Amino acid sequence: MLKIRNVHKKFHHIEVLKGVDITVDKGDVVAILGPSGSGKTTLLRCINFLERADQGEMEFDAVHLEFTAASSREIAQIRKKTAFVFQNYNLFQNKTALENVTVGLTVGRGMSRIQAEAVGMKALIKVGLADRANFYPAQLSGGQQQRVGIARAIAVEPDVILFDEPTSALDPELVGEVLAVIKQLAKEGKTMVIVTHEMKFAAEVATHVVFMADGNIVEEGSPEMMFVCPKEERTRSFLRRILPQIEYNI
Amino acid sequence: MELDYSFLEKTLLLVLLAIPTTLKLTVVSVLAAAPFSLGIALVRLHQKGALLRLVTAYVTFVRGTPIVLQILLVYSLLPSALKAGAAGLGLRVDVFALNPVFYAYAVFTLNTIALLSEVLRSALGNIAPGQMEAALCAGLTKPQAYAYIILPQALVSAMPNLCNLTVNLIKGTSLAFLMTVQDMTATAKIAASYGYNYIEAYLDVFAGYVLVCSIVQCLFHYAERHVGRYRLARQKQG
Amino acid sequence: MRPFDPSFIWAVIPALLPFLSVTLAVVAGTLFFGSLLGGLLAAGQVSGGRMVRRLARAYIYLVRCTPPIVMLFIVFYGLPKFFMEVFSLDINAWDKIVYVWISFTLLFAAPISEVMRSSYLAVDHGQYEAAVSIGLSPRQAFLHIMLSQAAVVALPNFGNAVISLMKEGSLAYTIGLVDLIGKGQLIISVHYGARALETYLALTLIYLVLTLGVEQLFSFLEHRFSGLPPSDAVWHPVKPGGEV
Repeated sequence: MLKIRNVHKKFHHIEVLKGVDITVDKGDVVAILGPSGSGKTTLLRCINFLERADQGEMEFDAVHLEFTAASSREIAQIRKKTAFVFQNYNLFQNKTALENVTVGLTVGRGMSRIQAEAVGMKALIKVGLADRANFYPAQLSGGQQQRVGIARAIAVEPDVILFDEPTSALDPELVGEVLAVIKQLAKEGKTMVIVTHEMKFAAEVATHVVFMADGNIVEEGSPEMMFVCPKEERTRSFLRRILPQIEYNI
Repeated sequence: MELDYSFLEKTLLLVLLAIPTTLKLTVVSVLAAAPFSLGIALVRLHQKGALLRLVTAYVTFVRGTPIVLQILLVYSLLPSALKAGAAGLGLRVDVFALNPVFYAYAVFTLNTIALLSEVLRSALGNIAPGQMEAALCAGLTKPQAYAYIILPQALVSAMPNLCNLTVNLIKGTSLAFLMTVQDMTATAKIAASYGYNYIEAYLDVFAGYVLVCSIVQCLFHYAERHVGRYRLARQKQG
Repeated sequence: MRPFDPSFIWAVIPALLPFLSVTLAVVAGTLFFGSLLGGLLAAGQVSGGRMVRRLARAYIYLVRCTPPIVMLFIVFYGLPKFFMEVFSLDINAWDKIVYVWISFTLLFAAPISEVMRSSYLAVDHGQYEAAVSIGLSPRQAFLHIMLSQAAVVALPNFGNAVISLMKEGSLAYTIGLVDLIGKGQLIISVHYGARALETYLALTLIYLVLTLGVEQLFSFLEHRFSGLPPSDAVWHPVKPGGEV
């Protein structure tokens, strides 16, 4: 469904992505792992054009395009097929939780307000925040804000949801509630690409694991293969450092 | 000190009756300036090159010169420029018969464009870039993102500065008498010149400005609380 | 009307420049007296009793609502009458710059007191406590520790206040003071109203140089006294692509 080939991206002469390929099929949950600065977030941001890649091409269902040549219409098209969950939530500060969820429907997609509110409430119920519908972001905890962020993403029924380290800005005790929501989405068969540092979570939900370092994909495969017997030394040393205590059982 | 109280009272009424003129000058200038100011603010935040240099030079010019000089400049430039422009278009307009209030609108609008653009620039610049990114990801176009997400937030954070700007503009319009516009100051000046009751007349104007500025500040305070609901919510929570 | 003559802009500047001293004298005198009155207002607000605080706040509020021209006219027309009737003193012969100084001192004191107050409050109170704890008297602590730090904090806002004073000071010509603009008006009237545009453009240039100069001066002072090394000395670029 979504194929990206040979993505390159430079910031101030420093190459952050050095030719990355990734394929996402319908129903996949792709977890992207790797040390900080390996380019995971940049890759995600290139997919929906928050960053413009310097080179590479994309195939999204029937849409084929070069990153550098994409028109604003094509970009808008891709953005409507995807949704993004931000590390720091980025809820609209001037909108209530429900309005945050519905604005993409009413303004972005021209849905009627009544219909949008019904869809929005359904999304809020799914993340367990129906009772917070009329709260402003400033009145919600970090975990609640991120769950609204997820509701905002699923309400527009995207083909793919992109998660950019959805729990790394959260206090440890709030991580669980957000991961639970994402796990539920995985169970429902939603297609997702998740950049994360939560290894245990990745092992549980991912159908496909990608390990990145220094702007390249070092290794990728099924979670069983990646967590139990990674081939590359880079992957092994990273996993050893980050999860000495976790044992993975098939 | 003995004041002429009957004159004080009579002139106060005249001054108060001139308040609409002062307010009209202020409101028209701010509204006429707003779209240009927004444009300049956006150029200064997002553009490079000749356009940026042009608008920056304009803002520097307005901020770096006294408004009285801007008035004198425009008042000596505009009539002949209009005349030349009208002649160029083949129109026969007597520019000297033009109501002087239009010159005042022109000066204060040109001035406000620059000052308001600074207010908007700092307000827009303080909105986290993530708000725009999230709006684009939600499927909004850039103009929609500005209209529904960015500008509403920027306006709230700009409120205190907008209030300052408006109060300063109200005070600035006191110079409209230089263009023979009959605002509060001009009214008092004329009334005073009949019997040399200057001190009474200017005390009346003083009272008039305090009244107008107080009302405007109250309105802004109220508006800030109204449009800033989402911020107050946070304060209530602690 | 004579056609626009750009060369007159340059020709008129030498005739205007001698009156720069008057314009600067307006600013300097106001700065001095205004800072004194502003300091009193700030002190009254920070450490005065309830009545003093209220009076200071009311004064600042009223001045914030007063157009400079109105203040100038009230002082210029009202003060001689006041002195005459209360002290039987004729002050009509006083130089006009005195009225200008009084008017702008009354005006300038308000914003400057706000600058002083907010910068004083911006200095961490722990600084004062630390000074007292090592044996400085409260007075010494204020003078040696608080004041110098507050002055640095105040610099940018003080600079803005000076620039707006410089611009507002240009109104002095309306009561007949012959400063830069006053001289400009005289030159224009000598030419029977012609050359107005050229003269105003020349004045604009002079004012732009003045205000930009003051702006530069204050940003230099701010840099000089901020106590930080030049910004590039502490800048360690982080390599975005590198390992952490």
